Amino acid sequence: MPGPLLGVHDLKTQFFTPEGVVKAVDGVSFELNAGETLGIVGESGSGKSVTAMSIMRLISPPGRIVEGRVLYDGRDLAKLSESEMQGIRGESIAMIFQDPMTSLNPVFKVGWQVGEPLMLHRGESKAKAFASAVSVLAKVGIPSPGDRARDYPHHFSGGMRQRAMIAMGLTTTPKVLIADEPTTALDVTIQAQILELLRTVNREFGTATILITHNLGVVAGMCERVMVMYAGKVVESGPTEDVFAHPTHPYTWSLLRSIPRLDAERHEPLKPIEGLPPDLIDLPSGCAFHPRCPFAIEKCSRDVPPLNRVGDSQLAACWVTQSGTELPHA
Amino acid sequence: MLKYLLSRVVATIPVVIGVTVVTFVVMHIAAGSYVPGLDLNPNLKPEDEEAIKRYLGLDRPWPEQYLTWIGGVIHGDFGRSMIDGSLVSRHIGDRLPATLELTVTAILLGVLISIPLGVTGALRRGSKLDHALTAMSVGGFAIPGFWLGLMLILFFSVQLQAWGLPFLPSGGVMTPGTGGGDLLDRIVHLIMPATVLSFVYLSIWSRFTRSSMLEVLAQDYVRTARAKGMSERRVVYLHALRNAVIPLVTLVGLELPSLVAGGLIVEVVFSWPGIGKLLYERAIQTDYSTVLGITTFAALLVVAGNLLADFLYAFLDPRIRYA
Amino acid sequence: MIDPIAVEAPQVPAQPVPAHVGRSYWRAAFSRLRRNRIGMASGALLLFFVLVALTAPLIAGFITHTNYSSQDLTNTFASPLSPGHLLGTDDLGRDTLTRLLFGAQVSMGIGFLAVFVSLAIGAAVGLVAGYYGGLIDGLLMRFVDVILAIPSIFLFILMSILFKPSTVTLALIIASVGWGSIARLVRGEVLSVRTRDFMVATRALGASDARLIIRHLLPNVLHVLIVFGSLYLGSVILTEAALDFLGLGINPPIPSWGNMLTNSETFFFHSRWLVLWPGVTIFLAVLAANLFGNAVRDAFDPRLR
Repeated sequence: MPGPLLGVHDLKTQFFTPEGVVKAVDGVSFELNAGETLGIVGESGSGKSVTAMSIMRLISPPGRIVEGRVLYDGRDLAKLSESEMQGIRGESIAMIFQDPMTSLNPVFKVGWQVGEPLMLHRGESKAKAFASAVSVLAKVGIPSPGDRARDYPHHFSGGMRQRAMIAMGLTTTPKVLIADEPTTALDVTIQAQILELLRTVNREFGTATILITHNLGVVAGMCERVMVMYAGKVVESGPTEDVFAHPTHPYTWSLLRSIPRLDAERHEPLKPIEGLPPDLIDLPSGCAFHPRCPFAIEKCSRDVPPLNRVGDSQLAACWVTQSGTELPHA
Repeated sequence: MLKYLLSRVVATIPVVIGVTVVTFVVMHIAAGSYVPGLDLNPNLKPEDEEAIKRYLGLDRPWPEQYLTWIGGVIHGDFGRSMIDGSLVSRHIGDRLPATLELTVTAILLGVLISIPLGVTGALRRGSKLDHALTAMSVGGFAIPGFWLGLMLILFFSVQLQAWGLPFLPSGGVMTPGTGGGDLLDRIVHLIMPATVLSFVYLSIWSRFTRSSMLEVLAQDYVRTARAKGMSERRVVYLHALRNAVIPLVTLVGLELPSLVAGGLIVEVVFSWPGIGKLLYERAIQTDYSTVLGITTFAALLVVAGNLLADFLYAFLDPRIRYA
Repeated sequence: MIDPIAVEAPQVPAQPVPAHVGRSYWRAAFSRLRRNRIGMASGALLLFFVLVALTAPLIAGFITHTNYSSQDLTNTFASPLSPGHLLGTDDLGRDTLTRLLFGAQVSMGIGFLAVFVSLAIGAAVGLVAGYYGGLIDGLLMRFVDVILAIPSIFLFILMSILFKPSTVTLALIIASVGWGSIARLVRGEVLSVRTRDFMVATRALGASDARLIIRHLLPNVLHVLIVFGSLYLGSVILTEAALDFLGLGINPPIPSWGNMLTNSETFFFHSRWLVLWPGVTIFLAVLAANLFGNAVRDAFDPRLR
């Protein structure tokens, strides 16, 4: 089996603001294999979106990728020139964003926008690209795609717009699709449809998918592997089933525990994670999670734990679990 | 879109009526039942005066006179001069082309220069160039138009001529005797007044384009465009600019009133034979009826101009066009 | 946008937000203004012009020792820095500096008066229209539409030939058009504030219409008035100068920066300076007013940067 499709090695992206340097992504490494579905989970500020934007080289000043390599197809994306990167964006690696209501340009027809990547990367004519767009729109489940393609975005509902966005990402049959919170802004019923669509796309087109979300339920339904981020670092990763069944990092553990359960007793209080997410300019010493961690030991406040193998299939950045302690049932 | 346009047209009707009422009322306050040329005739007996007034309908009740007035306006009759009885509409017809020539050129100049200036400021936000452009805008807005015109004339017409260099004409639409056919001659006459007229609008519009552009560049759909892998040039000039100019169109439309008449000062300074200069000349002669006739006409032009801007806006913004 | 709080909250007990929040809103705005260096500098320049306007006779008495209409036909078109005439003299030998000083009285006086009257009328109309809505709103706003449709400079010229203005009447003439835009702005602001909870609450406590409008709505639209007023001052000064220039405003012998430029092109070869000084002065005054207005606007709504 050939090597991974996408390899991120020790990626560090920082924002240089008047208040200080924000270490948004602080040494993130992971791999994505062809056709795989990977979920990146974390709170706001965990660095998950910035990681994706860094891969796409869409970070603008005052932010900058300061270190690390992003290996794709034998090339380091972090070192490519802007015009070389433009050849990859939207062609080999596509990205769709959170808010479909504002992510489409209001003054151009949907069909034209969806077909634009073909005009840009395959040199297709406007008419040909439009026709291709119509067929992709059909594939993502938009009814009467021929007519709808001639409409403007404001005629589309939220769910349909997100489908159109997905179509836009797929026209060039990219190898990687990055979806940044694709369902967060949608109604719950539509969410399920969109996730189903992403699953179908992954199955039928073989597109490797990175799904970024703060919602554990979304990951559970969709991703083979999951990566948990906190304060700009990866704290745990592994097959989704394993991570959910027995988490090997206190943060994941706390997250799973905080989800309200249908079978809990009525009087049982909810179990939130104590404390607040850290200030990315002024991170805590040692492990960034230690102030909020119910299992923290003295070493946690001194040294930053590396991401190491814990158990058979998982990686975790935790002194406690690396030393053999198993976390109680979540 | 049709519904939107129709509603805009209907909304202007009360304004049109209002304008005619206001001018009618002011006319009566100013001149009452004055008849032009009447006091030039020393032999006129009081009964004759009454007879003439009755003939002209000046003894009719006010509402009836108003209806006559508005009836006239609808047919393009804006009254007669108090000085020589000439038709205001004829004067307007004579002078309108010159005003339009000037103001349309000024608008075009303003838009054509504002957009690149604004886009540059937005793209190079915070740079020295941006600060310089902003300073020029703020400064330009503070310069009195008539003074700028005066200074330009004094340098480009008077001083250059005194130094024996080629110079620009200090006024008028064309060199007398050329009959208006010589394009170069007309352009040479047009340069200074059009520049002065567009100057203030340049200052406002370039800053506005800049902030509109900055707003658009921060939008999600611009991020989407970049993610599709297109050149930054395409992102800016195709995806962003198309959205950024929409509010500018509204702004240009809103400024139409000041262009129809803001040209007055420029016309006077440059002896440009337009409607503004006409109004000024007649005002000095206290020819109230002509002044009012021109004002009514100009107000209606403004209303029409606003309507046009609404149409243009609806056309450019697909959210309204295909509502 | 604005925190919906009356600046003081004495006899109305059940306010949803404590009154001190309101005071800190103004304080925050003023501190932002103070920190804006360009704004403060231009404010100082504007203040300078105001002071000059107020003390013109005094300055003339002490520095130039002449008044604005004393002619000296033996010393026409003197250059600047000639004895007794810091900025030279005009075609009738009158001292330019003195005339500029008294011209400040005209420009500043008319400027501030016109702005004040426009704000007062505009605010009143906007508050009433926005508060009552319905027919009153419709009528008032249609009337504003009519006023705004007529080109203002035509209206000014018309009124000046009708009324032969003095300084005060000229200010009123300019204000008679200016209130329109302000009324629209205030009305818009009222519409957004009117539906907020604190308005309903105060009304439920039995407050009358007048009390609601004056004590509760007005403070919340005050920032609109302040911002508009400071930005409007510059354009009033320009308009007034233009009218004077055309001979339809303040006429000699009372000097104004505008009428000092009337027919000045005929003096060009005698003294370039005559065309320069009044124009530069107008430019500086308007620039100061505009920059200060921008600073005020930024202080009250920093998002607009």
